[in-house]
Amino acid sequence: MPSQPPLPHLLTPYVTSPPQASLTILSSVLGATSNWLVLRFLYAALYASPASGVGHGVLGVEAGKKRKVVLVSFLRGWEFWRSEAKRLGLDLARLIEKRQFAFVDGLSELFSSPNAPTQPQYPGARIPPRTTLPLRSQPGPPRLRQPVSPSAGGDELLNPTTKEPGPVKRLHLSGCGIVALDGIEKEIIAVINQLKTSTPAEDGEVSEVLLVVDQPDMLLAATGPSKAIGATEMGEWILGLQQAASATIVTISADSPLIHNASAFAHQPATPLETGHAAFAVGLAHRAEKVMQLRNLETGAARDVSGVLRVSKGGAWGQREGAEAEGSWEEKEVLYFVQRDGGVSVFGRGE
Amino acid sequence: MSFRKRNIGLSTGSDRTPTSDSPAQPQQATPSPPSTPGVRPSPDDGRPTTSTGSPSLDNLLAGHGGLPIGKTLLLEENGTTDFAGALLRYYAAEGVVQDQKVHVIGMPEQWGRSLPGLIGPAEAADEKVDRRKNDRMKIAWRYERLGEFGAGVAGARATSGDQSPSSADNNLDKQPAFCHAFDLTKRLTHPSISNISYIPITRSSEPLLVSIQRKLQALVASSPPSTVHRIVIPSFLNPTLYPPEVSQPEHVLPFLHSLRALMSLPTSRITAMITIPLSLFPRSSGLMRWMEILSDGVVELCPFPHSSDALSTSGAATSHEEPPQGMLKTHRLPVLHERGGGSDQNIGQDWAFTLSRRKFEIKPFSLPPAEGDKEAQDNARSDKMPKKEDLEF
Amino acid sequence: MAPSNISHRQTHNLLLISKLLSLRDTASPLTLLLDSLEQPATPLIKEYIRRARLSKVHVTLIAFETLKPLDGVDAFISARRKSPSDIVKEVSAAYRPDSSNSPNRRRLILIDSINPLLHSTRLDNSFQLSTFLSSFIVPTSLSASSQPEASLVITFHQDVPGRPSPYSPPPLSILTYLATTVIKLHSFSHILAQKVARDRSLVPPVFGLEEEQDGVLLSRLDKPIGKDSAEGVVLEMEYRRKSGRGVLEWYLLPPASRYPATQVREIVTLLDDHPLYRPPLDDDAGDEEEPESTFELRLTERQRRDREGVVLPYFDAQQGHGPGEGGRILYDMGEEDDFDEEEDEI
Repeated sequence: MPSQPPLPHLLTPYVTSPPQASLTILSSVLGATSNWLVLRFLYAALYASPASGVGHGVLGVEAGKKRKVVLVSFLRGWEFWRSEAKRLGLDLARLIEKRQFAFVDGLSELFSSPNAPTQPQYPGARIPPRTTLPLRSQPGPPRLRQPVSPSAGGDELLNPTTKEPGPVKRLHLSGCGIVALDGIEKEIIAVINQLKTSTPAEDGEVSEVLLVVDQPDMLLAATGPSKAIGATEMGEWILGLQQAASATIVTISADSPLIHNASAFAHQPATPLETGHAAFAVGLAHRAEKVMQLRNLETGAARDVSGVLRVSKGGAWGQREGAEAEGSWEEKEVLYFVQRDGGVSVFGRGE
Repeated sequence: MSFRKRNIGLSTGSDRTPTSDSPAQPQQATPSPPSTPGVRPSPDDGRPTTSTGSPSLDNLLAGHGGLPIGKTLLLEENGTTDFAGALLRYYAAEGVVQDQKVHVIGMPEQWGRSLPGLIGPAEAADEKVDRRKNDRMKIAWRYERLGEFGAGVAGARATSGDQSPSSADNNLDKQPAFCHAFDLTKRLTHPSISNISYIPITRSSEPLLVSIQRKLQALVASSPPSTVHRIVIPSFLNPTLYPPEVSQPEHVLPFLHSLRALMSLPTSRITAMITIPLSLFPRSSGLMRWMEILSDGVVELCPFPHSSDALSTSGAATSHEEPPQGMLKTHRLPVLHERGGGSDQNIGQDWAFTLSRRKFEIKPFSLPPAEGDKEAQDNARSDKMPKKEDLEF
Repeated sequence: MAPSNISHRQTHNLLLISKLLSLRDTASPLTLLLDSLEQPATPLIKEYIRRARLSKVHVTLIAFETLKPLDGVDAFISARRKSPSDIVKEVSAAYRPDSSNSPNRRRLILIDSINPLLHSTRLDNSFQLSTFLSSFIVPTSLSASSQPEASLVITFHQDVPGRPSPYSPPPLSILTYLATTVIKLHSFSHILAQKVARDRSLVPPVFGLEEEQDGVLLSRLDKPIGKDSAEGVVLEMEYRRKSGRGVLEWYLLPPASRYPATQVREIVTLLDDHPLYRPPLDDDAGDEEEPESTFELRLTERQRRDREGVVLPYFDAQQGHGPGEGGRILYDMGEEDDFDEEEDEI
């Protein structure tokens, strides 16, 4: 198969420039993950300049609208996103230096218990990297991580001298209920605001920040009612993040056990986990303008098809005036195939 | 495949020392840690991988020829059999033989003493098979591909079939063995077997899984950074081992998440394998699904309910092969599905597994093409004298 | 049904929906909109707002999940992280009628989604849904008389599951019990597809979450049956009069693009009047489907009459005079018959 353009043209209208204040939901299942789609959104937002290459050119300066992206990932670390974006030709580390991109690490220390003496006392604070892990000479390329003092807000957030900047902000969940969520929310909003205002000198305007939250449903699943976090609290949490960003993309899991066990048609009583997840996921879909659903092929796995992508209008579609005129996309169901080289081909059934 | 059985008379002494590090290694393209035994770059994208201790499981893992470093494999098993436990023992034994640091959670030291005994490098056994296969090919050429699957990853991935065995042949003597063959009926005796660390399940003031996580973290942190770790969690959440509150989502999911975090650290080199009984935690439950989402690879074993005698010929592709003992389903493969899925040659296959004394073998599951016809033929031939199989049916 | 009956129902029920949607005479203080992902309530809410603007009604939106205020909303109150009592206070503060000014405007209070409130873990036991809702309609302030009359329209997402509480009634039951009008929203194309299936005695199809398919949240596609005209929202309305009698009716709300925003004339129609839902019947009643064949299977009128005139044997025996009298066998004994008292008892 010939190598694919980074953005398949069938996909382009769906991933480029989500409208202001909109929420887009990407739903995935176990065998059809949404990471490749998230990367396409990153690409569409960050790789705005058509001509210049990433490696040697300047990015996004020529483009009329400057987009910035904050990626919050709860299931995958910085290494994954960096290397996968590189396969697309997107140098995230460089973009961090250029202050067009920020990564918030919700994986590394989200639940790690406070065992180091240097542990900050308040929730959500930045944690000095791995005090328990001695950084010795390693066989692999060294990943230097500059310790950042928690009080510094975020001026040291970006560390241009480091060759490969690690995840700059690490989230830590502590406490219960809204307090815990608030801590995380503040951290993320701080990153967003920082990116907003840190425009390079040429133009003074505040640029738009696209917020991508990767699998926040994990937070809900791993806390649950015993920590006083439910679907409502998570929904409000997302709402708070939405207010800070210009557009928001959220990925969630929509596996059948997580969604349908709690429905009225289920045969067995649902667990709180299932009920909470379903309420959160369906509630988000009600608030979304666009819902992009990934799932496996119904007919079983195939060698040249990775899955099915269905784009539907969410519950909030049409709330904004003029959405009909502006949103020039229609609902669609296509097949996609993620190739070994990372390219994605998108095609209709039977094509 | 029964013909493999004849080829296993290899002495264990020659390959016990896997340190002969040849400067000319044609296959090592990437500069990822070359000196570590048991770690080799993936033929797919060069990331370091390590063997699961059973070659056919290695080959199932989306073209990487092993379990990529930093990835978790979740083995689910239906019923009360313990095939997954056998896979786990292979995995642990491979780690011992490769001088990796093995951490066993929730099991006493007896578990480590029951690891299967070492026979030799798996590649050596497979090479012999390959050579024999060339003879056999004239008879059963249509099964050539099936045989190739069981062979080393070089053979499985080669597009032109015959080229790789010869080159692999040359490498074999110089390169340390990546995967070994073990005998389940023997006991592993290896100097580094005492290095296995056991993290017991003990009651303490803090939640159990948090303390396990902390101990793991400390163990990983206290070892030299070049160490490759294996985390072995047998029969996770089994109520005979674990206290009941552990299966609450707010205990188990943060544990798996932190495990994932620990493993994804760029400084650590860890793989993990977890087995879990599906009879207690069915796949249709939301909690189980979250555990699967938090794992990089998910493999489900569905043993056939009958005794293997009843199925004597039904699942084997040829009469030479042993009958499969169950079906194997791959729900998620490391790296591949994280990228989006698809594009693996093994996808869409039905797999069957056979556990024999010496190996856990996974091969494409296929009902014999003409089972009904064969029976009819048999009946026609030996109508007057029913055979033993017929009676046993 | 007699034609006069239909037209009566038509006019009456159309008047009713017009009154309800335009909030005239406070016909329904508490309206409950039951929506789902397959048919969100957005079009209907926009219609409410449109009509409210036409009749100068003050619109308040209590937003549990909406980020930006909708067009035409006079007061937007974000309910994020607020306690119910705070929300009530804000709502009543949002519109203070000047007694000196013109007569009170009526108020429309919209709640974009009641679900987050119902499932919030923060609520203490003292929270009562009915008290909360009635505090909007019947403000408890001192100057109750000067308060404008308010109508409350609540959206409830049916497909968002809630925490089950074993003994108290589920929130949906409470809401439907309290509401004076319950409007359930359906997608017109789905209703059509289900009707087509029912007409053929097939199992009606289900959509979206009800399909229970892995990874499917939403099934809506723009043109599921390939007809642009199948747009619109079907409203299944249940209205409770003060007398207690209920009115059930199905309506169709056409898409907003079909009419100007300032149109005053009623745009909602009865579902039964829509040509796609109930195609106009052809006049000739004799147009029954007959299998096509080279044989003449039909009967002429005379044959039919003759067939009806045939008297079947034992026809009179069937009109028996009591139970057990129906099928007697009449038989005369011959000389060769041997009468057996036990067997041949008549």
